[in-house]
Amino acid sequence: MTFLKKTDTRSEEQTQTTGLTRRGFALGCGSAAALLALGGTVKVVGSEALCRPPGGQDEDAFIAACIRCDKCLQICPTNVLVPAPLEKGLLNARTPTFNFKLGWCDYCKESHAGVPQCAKVCPTEALKLPEGAKPENVIMGKAYIVKEWCLAWRLKNCRICVDECPYDAIEFNNDGFPVVLLDKCNGCGLCENVCISMISTKIVNNATDRAITVKPTMTVDYLLAKESRSGGRS
Amino acid sequence: MKFIKNIKSKNLRALVIIFISILIIVAGIFNSALSGAGNLSSFGYSLISTVCPLGALEAMMAANTIIPRALLSLGVVVLLMVLVGRAFCAWVCPVPLLQRWFPGYKGKKDHPDNQQKTLDLPQSDSKPAGSGSRGYRIMRSIGFDSRYVVLAGALVSTAAFGFPVFCLVCPVGLVFATIFTIFRLFAFGELTVTLLAFPLILILELVVFRKWCTKICPLGALISLIASVNRFFRINWDKSKCLEVTEGTLCSLCHKACSRENVDPRGKVLATNDLNSCTKCRECVDACPSKAISFPFLPKHKEK
Ligand code: SF4
Ligand code: SF4
Ligand code: SF4
Ligand code: SF4
Repeated sequence: MTFLKKTDTRSEEQTQTTGLTRRGFALGCGSAAALLALGGTVKVVGSEALCRPPGGQDEDAFIAACIRCDKCLQICPTNVLVPAPLEKGLLNARTPTFNFKLGWCDYCKESHAGVPQCAKVCPTEALKLPEGAKPENVIMGKAYIVKEWCLAWRLKNCRICVDECPYDAIEFNNDGFPVVLLDKCNGCGLCENVCISMISTKIVNNATDRAITVKPTMTVDYLLAKESRSGGRS
Repeated sequence: MKFIKNIKSKNLRALVIIFISILIIVAGIFNSALSGAGNLSSFGYSLISTVCPLGALEAMMAANTIIPRALLSLGVVVLLMVLVGRAFCAWVCPVPLLQRWFPGYKGKKDHPDNQQKTLDLPQSDSKPAGSGSRGYRIMRSIGFDSRYVVLAGALVSTAAFGFPVFCLVCPVGLVFATIFTIFRLFAFGELTVTLLAFPLILILELVVFRKWCTKICPLGALISLIASVNRFFRINWDKSKCLEVTEGTLCSLCHKACSRENVDPRGKVLATNDLNSCTKCRECVDACPSKAISFPFLPKHKEK
């Protein structure tokens, strides 16, 4: 392993640290193995589904390319994008997701004539809008109402989300209770943003979140299936 | 200029790193003016932007496609490296600076390398020791070391599992993530385990792996590889000033000063190859008693 000539002026210590010593090789292999193990573990453990900004709807393609650079979070004019915390899984940590308490995604209509800025700045095309993408067909999630927490469902005469929804995706059913029209909702989050149920905690004191929240489509499908199985109690 | 020349390179580097980090943090926090500037993983405005070369490579491997926009930013990075080579590792990356502040940092005084070196000048006309096999010569020409093994591991893992694996634990990313998490705690009251976990992982990496930069960092490895395109600010050893040549003394202070990368500034013959590892930190410039070393903008073609 003599990488060096006789004329070398390096001391023993330095020659040891140059090139690939056996110890260095072991350390390298150890770290490489650790990265393989990390990748495998994270993949096997899986991660929670999250709502993604426009262009990040193909989760596999998104997670393959996102390098957690924060550009999308920083440019979002409504500040609805936040870095996912570690609680959502190591794989999700620092990737962009929504916090609809802070804002809602208007598809950048207000500020940039409907050109999603997040997808525009993403350096690795982790956010990439397909041809012909428009707010109506970019589905970021679905709104879901917890009836026990909803003021209207508790006969309190609230109609805020119904009035605010830009896609007319919430309406009163025949009994006068608000319901989400799943084929119209694109998960923009305005309803969650404006919902006042948590502010009126005196009325609904066991609520842990707002009555209407936006979740990934598959999560909402699961919740609705569970709801109908438990026999339409409400 | 005079002022700048009078500060020690070590402190100048710290200043530059802190300045760039603060710029990134300010751009990130007051994001209306510089919106979407990003962190070090990709910094810049809109399409005029750098991208972490490792991140871009990982993203393309995981997505299994060529990503035109990432290539564009990668082009910007390569252009920068034509100009300044591997300077990122000494002048931009916050990791070595942080390591200086953590316990266990070995200052130069503790460096075990204080024995007398033999006086055996590299003869500029002798041939490099490129006698071995072809693989051996290639390994030598890139200064192969354990970092490349880690780089290979990171890329294989990324290709196998379909996401940029190293990004999850990259200390550079974690530094900015930690700072922005602290900011978000105050700005939005976001209290998450991230706040505790990120700095912990970071400290673990920096304290347990003291030799992170020279032994492990796959980003540094990739940057060293790309640094072979470097054409400007290359190290220049002025033979006519070097004490070993003019007075025949045992000096080697320049080589000793390069305790991190172990580049020999008198290189040419000895260590042509590991010049790609040179981070242009200027420690050797500071160390040389006769000012024989410089980093001229254009290479000097005196002897050829
Ligand atoms: S489309 Fe605009 S408002 Fe919606 S998340 Fe992206 S940047 Fe924010
Ligand atoms: S801009 Fe793209 S790569 Fe950067 S954090 Fe957002 S989604 Fe990820
Ligand atoms: S129901 Fe809520 S999330 Fe769905 S489109 Fe309407 S406001 Fe947006
Ligand atoms: S420190 Fe200066 S004088 Fe000493 S060996 Fe290096 S170049 Fe020559």
